[in-house]
Amino acid sequence: MRVARKKTRGAVALLAASALVIAACGGDDSDSGPATTAAPQTSTTLDQQNTEIEENVDERVYGGQVIIGLEAESNGFRPWDDSCSTNCYNMSAAVFDKLLEYSASGEYVPWLATGYEPNETLDEWTVTLREGVTFHNGKAFNADIIVDMLPLQREGAGGSASITGSGLLDIEKVDEFTVKYILGRGNVSFPSFLERYGLGMVFDPEAAAADPVGFDSAPVGTGPFTLVKRDIDAETVLERNPNYWGTDSQGNQLPYLDRLVFRPIPDEGTRLDSVVSGTVDAMITLRQGTIRDARAASGIKLIEFQGNNTGGGMFNTASPPFDDVRVRRALVHANNQPAVIEALGGTGISASATQWYSPDSPWYSQKVADAWPKFDLAIATELLTEYVNDPARSDGLAVGSPIETTLSCPPDPTLIAAMQVVQQTWEATGLVKTELTSFDQATHINMALGDQHHAHCWRWADEGDNQSGLATFLAPPELSVLNFPNWSSELASASFALVQQAGSVLDFDTRYAAYEQIMLNIATEVPIWYSGHTAIAVAVVEELDGLVNWTTPDSSLGSGIRGGEVRWIGVWRTGS
Amino acid sequence: MSEVETNTARTEPIPPPKRRPVWVRFAKAFMEMGWGVKLATIWLILICFGAIFADFLPLKDPNYQGFIYGLAQTNENPSGTYLFGTDDLSRDIFARIIYGARVSLVVALSAVSFGLIIGGFFGSLVGFVRGRVDTVVMAGVDVILAFPGLVLLLALVTFLQTRNLLVISFVIGLLSIPPYTRVARANALSISRREFVTAAEAIGTKRFVILWREIIPNVLPSLFAYAMVAAAFIIVLEGSLAFLGLSVQPPTPTWGAMINQARKDIRLVLHPVLFPSAAMVFTVLSLNTVGDWLRARSSVRGSAL
Repeated sequence: MRVARKKTRGAVALLAASALVIAACGGDDSDSGPATTAAPQTSTTLDQQNTEIEENVDERVYGGQVIIGLEAESNGFRPWDDSCSTNCYNMSAAVFDKLLEYSASGEYVPWLATGYEPNETLDEWTVTLREGVTFHNGKAFNADIIVDMLPLQREGAGGSASITGSGLLDIEKVDEFTVKYILGRGNVSFPSFLERYGLGMVFDPEAAAADPVGFDSAPVGTGPFTLVKRDIDAETVLERNPNYWGTDSQGNQLPYLDRLVFRPIPDEGTRLDSVVSGTVDAMITLRQGTIRDARAASGIKLIEFQGNNTGGGMFNTASPPFDDVRVRRALVHANNQPAVIEALGGTGISASATQWYSPDSPWYSQKVADAWPKFDLAIATELLTEYVNDPARSDGLAVGSPIETTLSCPPDPTLIAAMQVVQQTWEATGLVKTELTSFDQATHINMALGDQHHAHCWRWADEGDNQSGLATFLAPPELSVLNFPNWSSELASASFALVQQAGSVLDFDTRYAAYEQIMLNIATEVPIWYSGHTAIAVAVVEELDGLVNWTTPDSSLGSGIRGGEVRWIGVWRTGS
Repeated sequence: MSEVETNTARTEPIPPPKRRPVWVRFAKAFMEMGWGVKLATIWLILICFGAIFADFLPLKDPNYQGFIYGLAQTNENPSGTYLFGTDDLSRDIFARIIYGARVSLVVALSAVSFGLIIGGFFGSLVGFVRGRVDTVVMAGVDVILAFPGLVLLLALVTFLQTRNLLVISFVIGLLSIPPYTRVARANALSISRREFVTAAEAIGTKRFVILWREIIPNVLPSLFAYAMVAAAFIIVLEGSLAFLGLSVQPPTPTWGAMINQARKDIRLVLHPVLFPSAAMVFTVLSLNTVGDWLRARSSVRGSAL
């Protein structure tokens, strides 16, 4: 029954699944879906010695070109329809403006909007819009634009997923520059949706409706750059929008650069080499091994970021023996996180994860960190012994015989290495037989969507507020395709009630207490496991500046390169 | 006197030539080889010996990751303890190369067997009987050969979703049949016009007997020579599959998978890539060298027929 239900929701689920998984599973990373409120992260500019360096804001210069090597081609320039990854955000945020931006302090602050205000029940959000802004085609931006975007967003895959996730019912025009978002339920994390692709990026709805397919090669936004060439899988060229409305903190018109060139260079080593050799000016990586290599490279600047997003995996708790918490806890106790991180090339780069929040997040809990099962083969063996000798063991195998598991990860060399470490430590108990399998990313995701998984590599949490992600993860399996581990115990139900409660209040302490208890519940029943927080880095030639210390229109410090998303609007090139 | 002796000699049955033991013939052939062929042969013997008797040799566990327990270092340089060093999971590279030879050789052997037995038989058959059977079989062969081999292989492996040694060997073996069929047919076409075949037909020998006794034995030397070259190709093919993560599942060591896994650290250390690559290169080179030598020998014999 559940499988059938999942199949009917496949398209939406795939988008959302990508959100949670893809970056972890190697290759192209999808947007982690809508994030929710505050969670400040740290961005640090490092030189080869890992010492912090300052960006000289007094040397801002106009002109020049920057060539950016991306991990993969962007999905497109159609915010209402496409799913968006790190690559996509790097390109699309240069063409489209977002209504809100994420600040260094973890707040959603105005960008194309000038402010927002919820009602008491958090189911109506009034957003005021910036005046005097025009699209690339000269059309004026106003409340009608936001209202007219909605029908397209309802029809498009990306937009409709955001609408479903946020609970958005309708958008009302209040006046020429004010709109009201009406939700079907209170949602404290709604501002996060106005910062993401599906609902937050503003496009010309008339041009989009006139030619929805052609819009990809002729997008019309209000952003700092306009698209001049779109050669998919080869090169996308953007040129400076001379009429852009934004200015920097000193009143200088943005952007500084004349031209951006995006080139997909899938191979990690080639992409890094391209920066080192100067063939391209910047590259983005989500691979710990590449960051390690970039740290050792000379003649480049490296900007690193480590956020909530963490690798790891999940147990399908609907599939024996993972329906027994003793087995799950045993296997988590048998998971040597530092060894897994070393296999991933992340020693000294990626910190062991114990929850959905990194130590830099305001939602991080030391109590949860202490409660997370530590690597201890003796405890693991004891728990497994108890299970295998239990005459009522759920997997139906003979008493005393080892449990049989299948562990699957996508076929990326680093993930294959990590998978083998997990296999060895599990099997070191002498009570586990683990078969390793690997399938391409799409198959890997579909296996989880179709409940065909057993122990499955996965990625958890995202860089913003995790309210929405947690809500879908904790919802009963029969209601949510995104409850991939099919976690459905009393603690799971209690966790779902907590996340719903957290979603209806603004008070930080109330929300913190709810998230902390949810993470403790996860640490108790361990439907999932973690490796390390994902390290993300941007490597650039030494002439580039302005990647970290960009500011929003209200002069808030921006969130640096959160999630590998560079705000090219604030970047300048010395010597140009 | 001499006349009597001559008559006596003619009436006595001629004894069959005394056949020397295999090892003597091998030793004689080995001595006739050039140095390059000798080295190649020795390498192949060593690889085969290692692959077959790996479990009995004093090798380290090829899958043991000591670094998890603080008992070994990852990417350790070659030393007395680890002859070829360790890989990114602190496993002994030397042991993994020896065990990895098993996969390469089993896959190569199964492909050669499929090719020789099925491809060789059908090729000889259609080359001998010709006619409609020849047209139909060769049309099928041409269709299969029209597909890019690696792409077809990737599609089959992905479709099957199970990647153990048996499946990989079977799939590669199936794809090996068409080229052998072509080689066998070409040789059979030529041989079926030889005098001894004509003579056999003239005395009323059954066609199946001619195929079995005259055609196939004379096709085999060429097929064996081709098999050596094809085996080298198959080893590279399996390596390509493993490099793409589509061969036998880890942690089973294969040369291609070792190269694939080590490439992520190639900026830091070279030896985890170098040694399995060298093993593959030497094996492929050796098979080609010995294959060329065999082909040269079979050509001489063919001309002597």
